[in-house]
Amino acid sequence: MMFAPAPAAPLSRTHLAWLAALVLVAQLPLWVHLPLWIAATGSGLTAARLLLPAERLAPARLRRILLPVMAIAVAIGIRLQFGYFLARDPCVAYLYVLVGIKYLEAKSPREGGLLVCLALFLTLTQFFYNQSIVAAAITLPAVLVLGGALAALRATPGAATGWRAPLLATARMLVQGIPLAFLLFIVFPRLAGPLWGSPMASGARSGLSDTMAPGMISELSLSDAVAFRVDFNGPPPPPTLRYWRGPVLARFNGIEWRALPRAREGTFASQGQPTIEYTVTLEPNNRPWLFALEQATSLPVPVVEQDLSSTASPRPLARLTYDRQLLASVPVAQSTRYVQRSALGDRFAAAGEFDARDNLQLPRSNSRTVAFARELRARAASDRAFIASVLGWFHDEAFVYTLAPPPLSGDVVDDFLFDTRRGFCEHYASAFVLLLRAAGIPARVVTGYQGGEINPTGNYMIVRDSDAHAWAEALLDGVWQRFDPTAAVAPSRIERGLGAALPQGEPVPYLARLDMTWLKNLRLHWDAVNYQWQRGVVGFNVQRQQDVWRDLGLEEARPWQVMAGVAAIVLAWGLALLGLIHLRHGRLEPAQASWMRLGRRLARAGLPRGLHEGPLAYAQRATMRWPQWSELLWRIGENYAQLRYGPHDARHRERLDALREGVASLPDARALRATSSR
Amino acid sequence: MSSALHPGTAGPASWLRRWRQRLWRAAPVDRAPVVLRHRRVYILPTRRGLALMATLATMLVTSMNYALALGHALTFLVTGLVAAGLLQTWRNLAGLAVSPLAAGEGFAGSEIAFTLSLANAGAARYGIVVAPRDGPEVTVDLAAGATRPVQVGVLAPRRGRVALGRITLSTDFPLGLWRGWAYVHFPLAGIAYPAPESPPPPLPTGIDGSDALRRARAADAELAGLRDYHPGDAQNRIAWKAVARGAGWYTKQFEGAGGGGTLALFWSDLPPGLDGEARLARLCAWILAAERETRTFSLQLPGSDLPPGSGAIHRRAALTALALFAPERGS
Repeated sequence: MMFAPAPAAPLSRTHLAWLAALVLVAQLPLWVHLPLWIAATGSGLTAARLLLPAERLAPARLRRILLPVMAIAVAIGIRLQFGYFLARDPCVAYLYVLVGIKYLEAKSPREGGLLVCLALFLTLTQFFYNQSIVAAAITLPAVLVLGGALAALRATPGAATGWRAPLLATARMLVQGIPLAFLLFIVFPRLAGPLWGSPMASGARSGLSDTMAPGMISELSLSDAVAFRVDFNGPPPPPTLRYWRGPVLARFNGIEWRALPRAREGTFASQGQPTIEYTVTLEPNNRPWLFALEQATSLPVPVVEQDLSSTASPRPLARLTYDRQLLASVPVAQSTRYVQRSALGDRFAAAGEFDARDNLQLPRSNSRTVAFARELRARAASDRAFIASVLGWFHDEAFVYTLAPPPLSGDVVDDFLFDTRRGFCEHYASAFVLLLRAAGIPARVVTGYQGGEINPTGNYMIVRDSDAHAWAEALLDGVWQRFDPTAAVAPSRIERGLGAALPQGEPVPYLARLDMTWLKNLRLHWDAVNYQWQRGVVGFNVQRQQDVWRDLGLEEARPWQVMAGVAAIVLAWGLALLGLIHLRHGRLEPAQASWMRLGRRLARAGLPRGLHEGPLAYAQRATMRWPQWSELLWRIGENYAQLRYGPHDARHRERLDALREGVASLPDARALRATSSR
Repeated sequence: MSSALHPGTAGPASWLRRWRQRLWRAAPVDRAPVVLRHRRVYILPTRRGLALMATLATMLVTSMNYALALGHALTFLVTGLVAAGLLQTWRNLAGLAVSPLAAGEGFAGSEIAFTLSLANAGAARYGIVVAPRDGPEVTVDLAAGATRPVQVGVLAPRRGRVALGRITLSTDFPLGLWRGWAYVHFPLAGIAYPAPESPPPPLPTGIDGSDALRRARAADAELAGLRDYHPGDAQNRIAWKAVARGAGWYTKQFEGAGGGGTLALFWSDLPPGLDGEARLARLCAWILAAERETRTFSLQLPGSDLPPGSGAIHRRAALTALALFAPERGS
């Protein structure tokens, strides 16, 4: 008959306190990412159970009904909030509340264990939204509390355990586990693409888009978010040449610019010009564009360590379209690093006949602008002279460069050019292209980023959303040439950035300002640390993993070889750790160590010590076996007995030395066996 | 019982037996002290450990799908914690030395207490559960370098020898995610006396046949004299006044041969209608009653004979004879 374990005791106060701590540290990082009512409900439930005794909350029967009702109500609320349920964000929100509900009703340590598992998974979900250093740092306490909660759930109820001991024990185990965690992080195979669905399907998009309407870029310019960072091989180009080409927009409906639907393949025209090489670390933006300085002369290739032995060059991350965009096949969903080459220039050869045809389309509206362009063209001697006169007109007339232009109505370009005359780069680019097209010159809008700030810490360039820009391109004599009408209105925007170009009092994003206060310096240092973090940790993907393999000379390794290697290392880790534990705890005091050494030697020589046998009895038995060593053996036995059982007096040291000397001067096991008197 | 190991025999059967013994320790052939080493210590995840591993697997798949580098890091960090917990659980059990100290005695239907000694040469150990096969488990902590006795009770269903059986030492310290255990099977047996008949029947008449005399003795026993104390004499017969005076240890002797008459507890005198176990139960009850009333008694069973006597040693000898009585051998 087997004795069943005693029925599980209910969760004690200690259990509840630990579980509450765990649930709260798991919930806390999600606060900023969830709708307020969800955040408050989930944590409120936890706090309610912790602060009020369960009986006071509601009688047991009522709770049995109340909790499922609450779970369903929250599910409906989340469905209403998000508009859908079976997607990542609503599921995270639901799990968040569910953990609170589970905590409210948890009664047995077994439910406590389930709660620990749920809370652990909830801790992971914050990384959907944020993988910064801060996010990593606030996860560590959660892991510590996890260990503490597990230890508390394990302990026999009523055992007095404080907060300190379980936390310290967990910290020790974490330190022991870190080598293993590091190894797994490096060797565990990463996926190049998602297993299911589109991982960022419901994630926020940021940065540029494939449409441009008045107000879109100026809105973007209010953001300090990093678009990408650049390491230059050599000196960075001067500010006026930092045009990072992005989406090219050629279709205008009178209000909004759009990209042409079909993107033909393009070719790199001239290879002979001097090029610069740089590495771009693009933040995930869920858009397909990779950015390059005008004009790109290579496809972006993933960053690999320079290795002469590998002949096959890695597959490019994107293709080049005929209008010189770098388009990836899938949206950039994770931090991506690529090497890019560009020849700094403002012109390139047209791709073909269709270039002129596609870029002359005019909307039916904005007749004043069209009439004005035709009149101006009639007075100009050539296309170039016409363009110069348009730019001159922008410069001379009372146009104002501002982030907060008045709203436009009706024919927006007419309204802007002849009435308000206050606008941001998209207004100028849009109006400029329309004027050129009206005069019969093929032209289009190019969006992207203009500028970039060199971070002296780490010596790389940061390009932020606030550097977003729109400019124009005109096809003259078979060559596309860049014109930036914004430069005609506010030259400092191009030379010194947004902060210098905008009038006083405009809401310039903090980091786009020019004054280098200590705070901004600090922010730059912090950005440098973040950059390393992004590159080394968050950006550790398939490519980077292959780099590690290559560095280790293991790229040819078969999967089973890797598995065997990992198994060997894990085994070595376990043995090393056990050895360490043994060393720390199993160290004998010196006298005992000497005595054990003697015991081992005599045992090998055929005289093991009986477990009942004291030092003197054993020594006596040994002297009978080896009479020739009797004096030595007696001395060892007596000294050890004195050291172990006698008073700790002045002769301690002397005895210890005698013991050690005696054991050392005894012959080894083989010699003893040979001289045994039996 | 000791059908366990026949070192002489060879072949697959013996090989199988050896391995079964090594894995399950089915035969009581362990010799003291048993030090728990890697050969004896087993470890498997607990239910909670399995749940946490399933969670970790889910987290890993999620991290892979969403390419969460920090998700991987968190998953592996907790994996490291679980792995370190495994080693700590192992360490908590490995190196523990177990020896048998004493086997107890009791009546059938109650628990027989066995005492084991746990010796810890290393660092402190916590939450070591010592569980006999048929009895409640005991949880102990051991300080660094401590040796302590642990008493476990084994339920005795019937009279006779009660083997301690296989002991399971287990622990799920420190996180409750792993359970490490080891079997120890000492050839240690206690004794279960027959359960006394209840309510106890009246004592039979003594050898002299005079019930009245016995009553008189019980009412006002006359002290006949003192003799030297022998270990095993009943406590209520010790001359405590003499002890208190510091005169030494004496045992009171009452008037009449053996004080109030020696009881003759004879198997053959019992009513013929009683079956064997019922006879033993009645004899057991009588022995206890005689001891309570500090009377000498003799016991006669088929095949064994106990001369008249009294005291703890005599009582134990009598009860043991009852416990081990095998009717097949008898008359």
